[in-house]
Amino acid sequence: MNMKSVLRVGAPLLLAAVIATTLAGCGKSEESAKAPAAAASAAPAGMAWVGQGDDWAAKKAELQALGEQFESSQALFDKLKADAGGGKPLTWAQMSEPVYDWSGVYTRTKGGLHFDPDLRGPEMETAQLTPAGAEVVKKKQEQLTKTGGEYDPLSDCRPPGTPRWFTEPFLKEWIVTPDQTWLINEMVNDVRRAYTDGRAHTADEDAYATWNGDTVGFWDGGTLTTHTKHLFAGQYQRGIQANYSDQVTTVERWRKTDDKTLQVDVWVYDSANLAKPWYTRQSYTKLSNDDKQLRLRYWDCRENSNNDIITTKDGTSQFRDFNFVENDAAASSDQDVKKAAGAKK
Amino acid sequence: MYAKKFGIAVAAALLAAVTTQAVAHHSGAMFDDKKEVTVSGTVKEFQYTNPHSWLLVDVKDKAGKVTTWGFEAEGPSTLTRAGIRKSDFAPGTQLTITAHPMRDGRPAGAWMKATRTTDNKEFIPGAGFAVK
Repeated sequence: MNMKSVLRVGAPLLLAAVIATTLAGCGKSEESAKAPAAAASAAPAGMAWVGQGDDWAAKKAELQALGEQFESSQALFDKLKADAGGGKPLTWAQMSEPVYDWSGVYTRTKGGLHFDPDLRGPEMETAQLTPAGAEVVKKKQEQLTKTGGEYDPLSDCRPPGTPRWFTEPFLKEWIVTPDQTWLINEMVNDVRRAYTDGRAHTADEDAYATWNGDTVGFWDGGTLTTHTKHLFAGQYQRGIQANYSDQVTTVERWRKTDDKTLQVDVWVYDSANLAKPWYTRQSYTKLSNDDKQLRLRYWDCRENSNNDIITTKDGTSQFRDFNFVENDAAASSDQDVKKAAGAKK
Repeated sequence: MYAKKFGIAVAAALLAAVTTQAVAHHSGAMFDDKKEVTVSGTVKEFQYTNPHSWLLVDVKDKAGKVTTWGFEAEGPSTLTRAGIRKSDFAPGTQLTITAHPMRDGRPAGAWMKATRTTDNKEFIPGAGFAVK
């Protein structure tokens, strides 16, 4: 069998494996939704930060179980805050301490399209989905199998939103001050503000959803713990990924683990899509930047008309109108391009 | 000079598609990641912009007709990480470039590798995602 034959046979098989794995995972999710939270009893309440050593799989299971002990993210956050004695407010004098020096340009260490960065390739996510959540994934599978692609709202420079924020592959920066920490994503000039001055969330009756929601938190010995709510619905990432509803909330525990690494424990709660809270640890690596040429630049989809994306009738993406092609409608075989060109006239 | 060839990509097609989708701000559905096209020509303009950069290259066919091709890459920060600066492709620069072509026949593609004629230096935008 030559290479062409291998690819001709192998690629569909790989696609089939992806689908089978994911659908199998969806089935498990339904079972998990009905299973008692037996593992939860094994987790120590208020579990302290743990490193990612050889026993990471076991530690990760404990951190997952920790989340499962609590009915809501607010309850977990309150517990962590109580364990920390309410937290210890930072001072400007502390900003020079290495543990609070989060300066530099970072990017996600690993994970690709997976929300859980411990996964690689065509693996099913570790989320334990509700039947409704699993159905969404199944439909996405069908769409991707049928069309080979999808339309992503990011194409219009709409923000990824949180929790998707954690997975974006471009540059990130963190600005730590005593009263608030900014978590900055290069993509669409996206800033999350975590308030650590003791303020409470906006009251539910006055709150409204936004891409990154409302985040409050506290510091305790170099660890920033936050709670986020009032978020828009969205998807964890493009491709074979679950959605989250506008009921999604998070607890995050951030820490600088060495000179080049920031990590965060993330517990996602979303009763509409998740049968149980979803724990993951996200990592970000400080990039080499000796010549200081690496910077976060403004991001605007209208800056270059060649980046103008339309949604096709089959739900994928297409370029609308290249500025280097004289007549896109004539040059393209895609009816969506012709239609877009006609609408422009 | 006009050279154009199509071939089946040697990387596993699906994984390539996933990779493309992972790094772009839009789905890569418009590109055919099972094919490659290679052309030689002259840089007309390097649009070094977010969220994507576009390298416009004038390509002359045997009859002397010039077609401007557009090659999409990531934005400036990822290109910087890949060692690709705006000045590397000033107008008039001669190069040979390989890309995944558009499915709809328009003269554009997803930039895989460009080789500058003057010094044979290779420029691979995907290298900008290395974490180092």
